[in-house]
Amino acid sequence: MNKIAYTAFIAFLASILTLLSASALSQSGDAERDDEALDTITQDELAGHDGAESCWKAIHGRVYDVTDYIPEHPTEEEVMLEWCGRDASEGWDNKRPGVPHSPRAESRLEDYLVGRLVGEDGQPEARGDTSDAAVSGAEEVTDADRALSPAEDERLHRAMLGMPLDGHYRGVFTDRGIIQVNITFDLRDGRFESVDYRYLAYRGVDYLELEEGDELYPVMVQHRQIAERLEGEPVTRIFALYEPERMVDDIDGYSGATLRGAKVISAIRDGLNRGVYSWP
Amino acid sequence: MRRLLRLGDTALIALLLLPLVVALPRLGGIGGPPAAWLSWMGQVSGILGLAMMLLAAAVSLRLPGFDRPFGGLVRLWKLHHWMGFGAFILVMVHVLALALAAVPSSLDAAVATLFPPVSHGAIWLGWLAWLAMVIFLAPTFGFFGRLHYQRWKRLHLVSAAAVLLGLWHVLLLAGETWPWWLLGIAGLGAIAWRKLLSPRWSRLPYRITSVERLARGVVELVLEPEGRRMRHETGQFVYLSPLDETLTAGRGEEHPYTIASSPGDDQLRIGIKELGDASRALQSVTPGTRVLVEGPYGEFFGRRFPKRDMLWLGGGIGITPFVGGARDLASGGRSTGHVHLFYLANSPDRAYYQEELEGIAEAHESFSFTQHYSRERGRLDEAFLRQHCPNYAEREIYICGPPGMNDHLQRLLTDQGIPASRIHSEVFDFL
Repeated sequence: MNKIAYTAFIAFLASILTLLSASALSQSGDAERDDEALDTITQDELAGHDGAESCWKAIHGRVYDVTDYIPEHPTEEEVMLEWCGRDASEGWDNKRPGVPHSPRAESRLEDYLVGRLVGEDGQPEARGDTSDAAVSGAEEVTDADRALSPAEDERLHRAMLGMPLDGHYRGVFTDRGIIQVNITFDLRDGRFESVDYRYLAYRGVDYLELEEGDELYPVMVQHRQIAERLEGEPVTRIFALYEPERMVDDIDGYSGATLRGAKVISAIRDGLNRGVYSWP
Repeated sequence: MRRLLRLGDTALIALLLLPLVVALPRLGGIGGPPAAWLSWMGQVSGILGLAMMLLAAAVSLRLPGFDRPFGGLVRLWKLHHWMGFGAFILVMVHVLALALAAVPSSLDAAVATLFPPVSHGAIWLGWLAWLAMVIFLAPTFGFFGRLHYQRWKRLHLVSAAAVLLGLWHVLLLAGETWPWWLLGIAGLGAIAWRKLLSPRWSRLPYRITSVERLARGVVELVLEPEGRRMRHETGQFVYLSPLDETLTAGRGEEHPYTIASSPGDDQLRIGIKELGDASRALQSVTPGTRVLVEGPYGEFFGRRFPKRDMLWLGGGIGITPFVGGARDLASGGRSTGHVHLFYLANSPDRAYYQEELEGIAEAHESFSFTQHYSRERGRLDEAFLRQHCPNYAEREIYICGPPGMNDHLQRLLTDQGIPASRIHSEVFDFL
């Protein structure tokens, strides 16, 4: 047994060294393809390949045609198909929450490279700002009259938030060095769960300590309503708080110099910016 | 002894396959191009290799009674040894298969698989685990010669680091982590018990009441419990750590020795022949000093005391379990059938215990004793056996002695058509 162990050990070292030296000696052959040399692909072209019959994905600025690979991928087909025709960097970097695909997968991916993603102007697309084009440009300005309110424009909301991952979040709104809103929430399938305030205060008044009959108690109730009514809603729902009357029964509390819906939006977006606080 | 699968083995196999079975749905099919197939192989060998390593750690648990479902501590050590070997080979297959699986993409991809950017910490943890494995297994498999036993034992503790790193590696990469937590806790728990808790909790203090010199280089220690008395069966062994300050070697070190007293005896008797530094030093241990005793382990006679008559073949210091058995018979311990003991010694001056055994044979009809001197008659042969014990082939046979004698007797007996299942032996060659 000792001889076998020793032989296997030496054979193993030899194989690794062979692999390393062979790779070092053949450097030139497999140089990574230069970005400039790649075909350009626009968002629209990408979006056209969004199904099992032809599935293209943008990952970190490059576009891959993974149609043939879908049956081979270890997970179920739906998981792969979900990302067809759009920027799939998020899924690529999170095989499971926080765990990226392996370097081996990375190298296999290069086999499916078809081009690089560019915007309408031919400039490379940066990740995450995919819809900014929709709100810039002359065409949109002339349509300003019939533009939706920022509080109800779902497309705008999605663009602004990106694709937050499911998980537990915490965020705060501070002003002049003082915390006013500290909120905690979970996202599950992109929807709110367990929305709660860890801290809520303005001008030295701790709203969470208020009791019925206190002057500012209704303001606290309105915030509670916000939390309750966000429950189960998609994350984009927070933009409705720009017009709080869309969310709460009575908005009196918002007319004075007290807490405002925008602060809750700010705290939630702070949480989203910070990223997942803990995984579900 | 020769039963193929024991209860413990079945449990081990089930635990070994558990992580694989849980992970299998994620690994996809085995078919497809070579790259896919190699990748599958690489993952499966990694899963099996680590499971084997964790289980090897788990069975290093030395707890009286734990060894019995595996057929005694000696067999359990062998399983441990084989699993360590298997894990080492599988881990290397794992690495190579994954690298080769990336070769069809490109050589660079293969190298990147093995040596990714530092941000892929999980892969590097795997390498560190492998390195730790090489450090503690190299002396075990004698890559660069053999180490002194105590130094080997200390170096073997690096296995704890290998287990931790391997576990970390897999917890970052595995889809379902619970099987790994399960095996990991079993493995690390066993190491912790062995190295931290058991030295304090499971060693019983005894005092040496006398040291009886049986022959040159052979003594029998007579031990009296200071507190609780250990219960044992005949043929079992203990780990003994002498605390005598004047010992020239092996003070505080534990070594295994077979019990020579009967289970009914209030004193614990242990026959010790000088075979190494520690056992040589014990020849002149000071009476009245203390020792720590851990055990009992093994199941030489096991739970299979047969309805059949028995043939005992003892040689050298391997006579001790039979001395224990004979003393048990003499004190009226058990009387199931007839026992015939052959004592294989070189010459009369090496036949320690002989007088006592002859005395027992005279006083008890159920026990016969035959002395055999190889200097006079050469190696024991079939004719000698038949002459003194005509029905030896019908008996349940127990052999204990040096490896050369054991091999010779095994061959002699199986040549007579005696089924291997009726021949039992225990050889302490790597304890």
